[in-house]
Amino acid sequence: MTATTTARGVHLTGLTKVFGEGDAAVHALKGVDLEISSGEFVVVIGPSGSGKTTLCNIIGGIETATSGTVMVAGEDISRTKPAKLSDFRRDHVGFIFQFFNLIPTLTARENVEMIVEMTGRGDKAQVPAHLEAVGLGDKLDSFPAQLSGGQQQRVAVARALATDPDILLADEPTGALDLPTGRQILELLQELNRQGKTIIIVTHNLSVGQIADRVITVVDGQIKSIESNDSPAAAADVTW
Amino acid sequence: MNATTKKAFRDLWRSKAQVIAVAVTIMLGVMIYIATAGAFQNLSASYDQTYERLHFADLTATGGDLDAVAQDALDAGASAAITRTQVDPPMLIEDTKLVGRVIGMPTDAQPAVNQVDVIDGDYFDEGATDQILLETHAADTFGVGPGDTLQIFSTTGWVDVTVQGVVDSPEYLWPARSRQEILSDPNSFAVAFAPEESVQGWFEIPANQTQVLLPDTADARVASEKREPWETDTGIAVAQAMTDAGASALQSQADQPSNATLSEDLQGFDQMSVAFPALFLIAAGVASWVLLTRRILQETPVIGTMMAAGARRGRVLRHYVLQGLLMGGVGALLGVALGVPANAAITSAYTGFIGVPDTVVRNYPWMLVIGLVFGVVVGVLGALGPAVSASRIAPAQAMRPASDAKAPGGWSRWVARQRWLPVSGRMALRDVVRSKRRTLATMLGTVLALVLVLTSVGMMTSILAAITTQFEDIELEDASVVAQSEAGVGDALADVDGVERVEATTLGQVTLKGPDGTYQTTLTGFEPDTQMHGFIGTDGTAVTLPDDGVLAGQFLSEEIGIAAGDTITITSDAGQNEVTVVGFLDEPIGTSVYATNDTARSLLPNEGTESYALAFTAESTTETARDQIRDTVTQLEGVVAYQDVRAIVGQLNQYLGLFWAFIGIMIVMGTVLALAVMYVTMSVNVVERTGELATLRAAGAPLRKVAGAVATENLVATVLGIPFGLAIGAWSAGAFLASFNDDLFTLELQWGWWTLPAAALGVLLAAAVSQWPAARAIRRVDIARVVRERAA
Repeated sequence: MTATTTARGVHLTGLTKVFGEGDAAVHALKGVDLEISSGEFVVVIGPSGSGKTTLCNIIGGIETATSGTVMVAGEDISRTKPAKLSDFRRDHVGFIFQFFNLIPTLTARENVEMIVEMTGRGDKAQVPAHLEAVGLGDKLDSFPAQLSGGQQQRVAVARALATDPDILLADEPTGALDLPTGRQILELLQELNRQGKTIIIVTHNLSVGQIADRVITVVDGQIKSIESNDSPAAAADVTW
Repeated sequence: MNATTKKAFRDLWRSKAQVIAVAVTIMLGVMIYIATAGAFQNLSASYDQTYERLHFADLTATGGDLDAVAQDALDAGASAAITRTQVDPPMLIEDTKLVGRVIGMPTDAQPAVNQVDVIDGDYFDEGATDQILLETHAADTFGVGPGDTLQIFSTTGWVDVTVQGVVDSPEYLWPARSRQEILSDPNSFAVAFAPEESVQGWFEIPANQTQVLLPDTADARVASEKREPWETDTGIAVAQAMTDAGASALQSQADQPSNATLSEDLQGFDQMSVAFPALFLIAAGVASWVLLTRRILQETPVIGTMMAAGARRGRVLRHYVLQGLLMGGVGALLGVALGVPANAAITSAYTGFIGVPDTVVRNYPWMLVIGLVFGVVVGVLGALGPAVSASRIAPAQAMRPASDAKAPGGWSRWVARQRWLPVSGRMALRDVVRSKRRTLATMLGTVLALVLVLTSVGMMTSILAAITTQFEDIELEDASVVAQSEAGVGDALADVDGVERVEATTLGQVTLKGPDGTYQTTLTGFEPDTQMHGFIGTDGTAVTLPDDGVLAGQFLSEEIGIAAGDTITITSDAGQNEVTVVGFLDEPIGTSVYATNDTARSLLPNEGTESYALAFTAESTTETARDQIRDTVTQLEGVVAYQDVRAIVGQLNQYLGLFWAFIGIMIVMGTVLALAVMYVTMSVNVVERTGELATLRAAGAPLRKVAGAVATENLVATVLGIPFGLAIGAWSAGAFLASFNDDLFTLELQWGWWTLPAAALGVLLAAAVSQWPAARAIRRVDIARVVRERAA
């Protein structure tokens, strides 16, 4: 899908993030300027320790910047307090993690319902539809232990969709999956992007970049390059 | 310090709050053990020192040719034997009439047996005839000291005597007239030691007691491997010789009223010094187990890496055991450090409270070692299970990504179908079986806390209920009066303002003999339709006095081997009589026999006195009104003694004073224990599930909702533990009470309807309070760090 506007997207200016103090200070991000439009599919790649996960976390509001401006979905979250960041995440962001983080004692349906119940956002009645959308319509009442890795990650995607976020942030979403299963997840994310969701994937897997509108390479806390992709590949064609 | 040890220290530091909770629980267990077991030893030693210093009699006998009894005792191996005269005459002290006790002593030197400790004034002047040494309790009660005078009622009338000194006596450390009168109105009893010749002259009787001291107690114990000197071969031989010489009613030191009462009080320390620390140490072991199990789960990949690199299983085992050892060691050391001063404080407080002349404060090295060993062993045992598990981890398995996803069981599937419940509720119910060890640990913590609290509360409420039953349902009179027979004060008593009812009673000391033994007690006679005493049968129903025969306290059934309808021999100064025991009574305090006045008079000697029970009007129950009645009654001509029954309750509370304090401390400790164990298990719950909780928080779930869901889970486990805790706690309380039962106390577990719900609510509240640090832990979850760590 072609990006249309940055007003509801991501606008980062002079973003820095420093962990620790004094001699032990680690500069994870060093003056990052970046714009991601609403509806865009972006892949952030980089080696371990490059700062890509930190960048993702700051965009998602689970980490705050040391300096700079962070505008996401029309909200300036640069100086927002943690309690308010919780509201921001609830209203705008969905997370997908490498290791799924499903609650093992809850079924697929309940794992998604739990988010609706806890955040007060979304509609429990729509949970089966979300799971149907990720191809798990017949696994609603299965427990995580009864699902494959790919299916568990699909539940995680459905969970991220439950609150109808503007932006989906996926940190190494294929990291714990084999190639065929990883492809299925990427296809799912591509489909969601086609439906209008802004997708940001953080990965060290260069191949994933083939399906993105843009590939942002982060090295040593700085954006080394931004490459536009006029003809993103279909996820089914990606290999690694 | 090698790297492994450094890691152990750092691991403990990382979980410092939980480690502190475990160490504090161990510390409390060790501290309570050292304080109570030490206090028990010290108090026993304090009594022993006083008894030894003052040559407290090992055997006391009456009857027979006293000089022959004493000589035969010496011949059989006694180290000392004396004869003396003891009489219970009316006394007048500071306008208060009472039936006191006068005991003869030599004036030239202290006797060889049962000496006194002069704490104010002097011992007798040699050859004195009108001096007395007043026992300290009476001196304190009446505010009398050296130089003051009081009167003793002799066969020829009132005799004026002067207080030469105030003394402590080993026979009256607890001022009990007899085994049945260990709790009495302090204003109704006084002990005076007077010159032996004067006593025999005042009452015109010869010496009537033989008292014997057996050889050195310690040597005798070692020689015979028995507990007490009168149980040694020498003691048995001496007792036999005295009996053969005609002595009757032989009383050992163990049965001596004061000593028996205080021993009973000490017994509580002995039992509590084992049971309560054990509860704390079990709880600490469980908490240590939970904490280290969680750490090993978390460190499984690290352990796998170490073992893949060739680390030996024993090394891994030792590493985690070391952590338990450090927690146990630190807790035990602190427990010993605090237990030592606590032991001294309890010992000094008790001896001061009771008035024991000698206070022995020692710390027993073996006890400190046992405390240390217990603390360390608890830490090590708590760590051993998890450590063994760690050492058995297969490296390849450990290196795979962690997953605690297991196939759901029947319970999980059933709960999943309960869609009417909110998801967080279903999650809470299913998490009960998700981590069984955590659930069991929380339940065990709940059970231990309830056992500690219910045992303490049960003992408190049962004793209070026993006091209430004794003084509101059984002893219905407000006061008792003894008067000279010829005075005829019955009508005058009825005219006293505030007195509603007067009944004649009959009172005397008797010895009961049944198939299995003898027992000395009090026989009290009442009017057949008396309203001064309630008789409650062993089935809880009201019983009336039989026209013929006696009712007896239920303790006697086993003690002398009798059943209802049996005939026993009753011996008094009036002689021996056969009488039928018509039934047994359930009386919580004391073991007496009762009959109608007519029956009692036929069994007891005529001592020239008559006794009355008084009931007051409802308006005369205040202390001021009671004092007024006391003053009026004791001024009546012919009244020689007056006892306020309600004052006995005050005496009882003094007897139980430290016990109440101990119970209060245990209830507080029980709450601390509940908090400590639950804090550890619940905070581990949070730590184990950091990933899940971070995910919920990342999705925007507010802290209160996430914390609420976790709290619900934790409280479910607590609720599951409550029925077990209530059942075991009730059993424990009953068992503790039963261990106190003897002829003095017959206690049954009694508590109000509110006790169990309140205890359950209290533990739930403690669990709820321990959610606070858990909620803080959830708030502190660094979502970004969790995400970063899990993605790495």
